[in-house]
Amino acid sequence: MHLQFGCNPPTKSQRRRSEEKNTKKTLDFPKLSPDACVFHCSMSPQQLNMAAVGFRNWARALSKGKQPGFSALFSQVRAASGPSKGMLPGPYPQTPEERAAAAKKYNMRVEDYEPIPDNGEGYGDYPQLPDRSQHERDPWYSWDHPDLRRNWGEPIHWDFDMFIRNRVDTSPSPVAWHTMCKHLFGFVGFMLLMFYLGEKFPSYQPVAPKQYPYSNLHLERGEDPEKQPEEVKHFNI
Amino acid sequence: MADYREAPLATRPKTLDPAEYFNLSLNQRRAEEERAGLRAQLKRQYQMQLNNPHRKELIEDPALTRWVYARTNPYNHFRATKKTSLLGGLFGVVPLFVLYYVLKTDRDKKEEQIKAGTYDRKFKLAY
Repeated sequence: MHLQFGCNPPTKSQRRRSEEKNTKKTLDFPKLSPDACVFHCSMSPQQLNMAAVGFRNWARALSKGKQPGFSALFSQVRAASGPSKGMLPGPYPQTPEERAAAAKKYNMRVEDYEPIPDNGEGYGDYPQLPDRSQHERDPWYSWDHPDLRRNWGEPIHWDFDMFIRNRVDTSPSPVAWHTMCKHLFGFVGFMLLMFYLGEKFPSYQPVAPKQYPYSNLHLERGEDPEKQPEEVKHFNI
Repeated sequence: MADYREAPLATRPKTLDPAEYFNLSLNQRRAEEERAGLRAQLKRQYQMQLNNPHRKELIEDPALTRWVYARTNPYNHFRATKKTSLLGGLFGVVPLFVLYYVLKTDRDKKEEQIKAGTYDRKFKLAY
């Protein structure tokens, strides 16, 4: 279980690529023609890769081999300050040996290591870990990183940033999830339905014009006290 | 500990799970021991680095590096399958056309109403 730090000798793939530089099969690029940027998709992926290699080399040659700046984007030489290619995630493992190597790389048992199924979505050989959030981990164990409830070197779930203790919690709920959903959406749906029906079919208290006593407030309205007030009939029986 | 009942929102820790204690096959035990061995080695490495008095730099976690690398470079292993093409089209191409169509028709309708003088300006500030 020795992890490598520091400079590493060129890996096999880097040596292969530097050989390709000298004995590669490239497409003929006319100098500075706009057609050079057009690739026909009828080529096989292998040829396309080679063509990409040729394109990159052409671009580098064009900029007179100066490494820093724009041409560094096309360079195939990686800095040796990071982890070696063998320590980084790679493509989906096809053979049992690749599986064992990937399990060792991720610090897992070969039997435990199960890569995410290869459906073209770009997971590579990353392991499929159980979808349990960090809330479910033992709060009393002495983790190396107590806030994340994780030990150093432990394989990280693909959605780890979702499962931290501030975010998604997969702990068991007091009531079953489907019951909670039914209760909540049932109640909200019922209230929405009732309010909608209330808008559609309004029902008010019966309203009538205001009725005043004392012969329609005859004296208070300043009318002649001697004069007989007019009869106002408010109802029909 | 036989009558331990976990809190309503917590899962039972692995060490208190009765399935971990009773009727364990030898293979299960061996597996647990191997896992414990891996864990112990990683702990040891971390502690050696943590308590090294001559250490001046941050302790780098290769698992974290791998995770970051895997999350930021999915296109190295991307393949155009039916599902990925469908998702790409659905999230990247269709919204462009749908949004253009919706906005254009809505604004054209509004323009026509304004030209005909029938547009009802809600919340207008000037009379």
